[in-house]
Amino acid sequence: MKVIKIDKKTWAGGINSLRSGYRLIGPVVKGDAHDFAELASDEAPDMAFGNTRLSPKSVIFPQSEPMFTYSLDESDPEHHILKDSTKDYSPRAVIGMRPCDAKAISLVRMNFDTPDYRDPYWMDAYDATTFVGLACDNPCTTCFCTSAGCGPYHEEGLDVLLSDCGDAYEAKALTEKGEKLLAAAGWDAEGDVSIFEPKKADAEAKITCTVETGNLRGKNSLDLYDAPFWKELSFACINCGTCTYTCPTCWCFDIQDENKGKEGVRMRNWDSCMTSLFTMHGSGHNPRTEKHQRFRQRFMHKLKYFVDKYDKGLMCVGCGRCVQQCPANIDIRTICNKMNGYEAAS
Amino acid sequence: MKNLMEHMGVEPGRLQFSWISSAESTKFVDVVTKVTESVKALGPNTNYVKKSAAKV
Amino acid sequence: MESYIGKIKEISERLLNDGTVECVVGFRKGTVALTNEPCMITKASDVKDLVWDSNCRLNLANYLTGRKEKIAVIAKGCDSRNIVNHIIENKISREQLVIIGVPCKGMVDKNNPESLQSNCATCTHRNPVIYDELCGELVEEQTDVDKYEDVRAVEAMETQEKWAFFEELLSGCTRCYACKNACPLCYCPTCFVDESQPQWIGKGTDPIDVRTYHFLRAYHCAGRCTDCGACEAACPQNIKVRQFTKKLEKDCNELYGWEAGLTVDQRPPLDSFKLDDPDKFIM
Ligand code: SF4
Ligand code: SF4
Ligand code: SF4
Ligand code: SF4
Ligand code: SF4
Repeated sequence: MKVIKIDKKTWAGGINSLRSGYRLIGPVVKGDAHDFAELASDEAPDMAFGNTRLSPKSVIFPQSEPMFTYSLDESDPEHHILKDSTKDYSPRAVIGMRPCDAKAISLVRMNFDTPDYRDPYWMDAYDATTFVGLACDNPCTTCFCTSAGCGPYHEEGLDVLLSDCGDAYEAKALTEKGEKLLAAAGWDAEGDVSIFEPKKADAEAKITCTVETGNLRGKNSLDLYDAPFWKELSFACINCGTCTYTCPTCWCFDIQDENKGKEGVRMRNWDSCMTSLFTMHGSGHNPRTEKHQRFRQRFMHKLKYFVDKYDKGLMCVGCGRCVQQCPANIDIRTICNKMNGYEAAS
Repeated sequence: MKNLMEHMGVEPGRLQFSWISSAESTKFVDVVTKVTESVKALGPNTNYVKKSAAKV
Repeated sequence: MESYIGKIKEISERLLNDGTVECVVGFRKGTVALTNEPCMITKASDVKDLVWDSNCRLNLANYLTGRKEKIAVIAKGCDSRNIVNHIIENKISREQLVIIGVPCKGMVDKNNPESLQSNCATCTHRNPVIYDELCGELVEEQTDVDKYEDVRAVEAMETQEKWAFFEELLSGCTRCYACKNACPLCYCPTCFVDESQPQWIGKGTDPIDVRTYHFLRAYHCAGRCTDCGACEAACPQNIKVRQFTKKLEKDCNELYGWEAGLTVDQRPPLDSFKLDDPDKFIM
C-alpha cells in the first residue's frame, strides 16, 4: 500500500490529466447544497463540503435507468423483442466521496453480486468505477458512523483515501485501481503514512452521537416485528421517499415500461418500501396497507433482516442523511436504540 | 387549468376550451377552424413534449 | 408563542382525563435542530411531551384523515383552514374534533431561522378560523402584505422564460413525493402518479414527467390549497413547490373571491356552479 503526497498546487493539473482516461464525477454545488455530478470538462470537484444531500449511489445505480428498448411496430421484423440499451461503461472515477458512502456501496454490492445472480447494470458500472474517498475531518452533528460499523477514515469500498492536510492531500492507495488512478494523474511524490492514525483518532473523537446495536443480532425477529412500538413511532411519518432515496444503502427498484408511439423502453427506477405501491401484488392484494407496516419494513430491513442475513453489521453506515432530511423528524438513531433495547414480554 | 398551463410556459392558444351544444354545428366548425389555425400558427409544440421514452 | 404551551398542556390534560377525547394530536420535541415531530398523545401522563414553538411547520390536519376516534388537535391558522377543508370533504367529522386553536405568529424558515417561512410572512389568517379552545389571545392579522409578488413576477415573463423558470425550479426534484404526502389535501387512495393502468405519467426522472407531476398535483389542490407551506417545508431539496399552487390560489381569489378553508358553510367554487361564474377561458 502506497501513500502519495498531492501538493494542492498539482491538484487541478492532476485532475485534468485524469479526464482523458476517466469520466469524472465529483461534488459540485447544486442549488443550495452539494451533490455528486459528472464534472464538465473545465469543472473541478468542490472538495469543501460537509456531506452531499444525495449520496453518490446514483453513480452506480441511477435513479432512472434504461435496461431494454423495444418496438411495437408490427411492420418491424424485430418488434416486441427486447434489446439491450446502449450503455457507457468506460472507466469513471468518483472524486471525493465520503468513507460512509463507499462502505455503503460495498454493502449494496452484497445484493447485486451474489453467488447466484450478478446484476449486470450495477456490476458493470461498479467495475468501471474507481472510488477516491475524502476522509471526514469535520463530521456533521448527525453523523453516527462510528457506531454503525464505519468511520470518518474507514477504507472499505475505496480505492484511494485522501486526507486533507492543508496545502496537500495525503493519498493512501488501497487497491491496484487506486494506484493506477494516482499514476494517471501524475501524482507520485512520496507521502507520509503516519498522519493517518492520529487524524483518524481526532476525527472519530468528534463523532459524539452513537447508536446501540449490540443486541440486535440476538433478538428474535418476530418479537421485534410484533413489538408494540411501531404504530407510535411511525405516527409522524408521511411515507415519502425522502429517507430511502437519500440513503446510500437503499437498493430497491421498480421496473416499468414506457412507450412513446411505437417505441418503448423498459427502465428501472428507484423504489421505496415506504410507499404502498411497493408491495402491491398483481392480484390486487397488498400485504402492507398500513403506514406502520411500511415503516417497520424499512427499519427491520436495515437493522435486523440484513444483520441476520449477511452477518456484516447494519445496513446503515450512519451518514445521517435520513435524520437530517426527514420532513417528519423520524430518527433512525432513536428507532435503532429502541429496537436494540426491546425486551419482549414472555 | 388553462391559466396554470400558460403560467408554467405553455404558449397561450395551445390549450383551448369551448362549450358547444349538439345543435350548434356551425359553431363547432368555426371553433375547430379557429383552434386549428391558431395551433398551426404556433407551430409544433416543443416545450411540453417528452423527447423520447429512452432519454436519461 | 412559546408561552402557549402551558395552556396547550392544561387543555390536553383536561380533555384526556375527562374522556372528551381519546387522543391529542400535536408536536413533540425533535431530535435535530429546528424540527419538531408530530405526535399523538393518548395518556394524560404523556402530555408533558408536547411542545409548541416556531418549528411546528407540518400541517396537523394531514394526520386526521379518515380517523375514527375522538381527537383533540392543535391547530394554528392554516391547520384550522385545512381542518375546515377536511370537514367539507368528509375526511373527518366536526363532532369528532376538539380543536385547540393556536393564534400563530408564523413558523421560521427551516433553512434560515432568522426569518419567517415565506408563506407565513404574508399570511393573513394567523388566527384559527374554527376552534373549541384557545390557548392565547388572538393575534392581529396582517393586512398590508403582498402575497403574490412572486406569482406576478412569473406572470410578467415571456412564455419561454416561464418555461425555463419552472425547468430550473424543478431541476433537483427526485420525486420523493414528500410535498404531496405532507399536504392534507392529498389523500387519494391511489395517486395518479402511481396508477399503472393506464399509466398517466412516466415514473422516472424525465423532466416532462416531473413537471407533469407538479402541475397536476397543484391542479388537484385548486380552490383547496390554504398556502400552509407544509409541502415546501417538507421538500428535502428545498424546491419552491408553492410556485404552482400559489398561481391557482391567486386565480381563485381573483376570479371567485375565494380563499380556501374559511368556513364550513360554503361549498368551494370548483365544486359548485353559479350562473355568474367567470368563463373567460371559454372561447
Ligand atoms: S421516515 Fe421521514 S423521510 Fe422516511 S418516509 Fe417517513 S416521513 Fe418520509
Ligand atoms: S439509514 Fe439513514 S443514516 Fe443510515 S445510511 Fe441510510 S441515510 Fe444514512
Ligand atoms: S429499507 Fe426499504 S427501500 Fe431501503 S433497501 Fe430496504 S426495503 Fe429497500
Ligand atoms: S399544497 Fe402545500 S400549501 Fe397548499 S395546502 Fe397543500 S401543503 Fe399546504
Ligand atoms: S418534496 Fe421536493 S424533491 Fe420531493 S417530489 Fe416534492 S418537489 Fe420533488
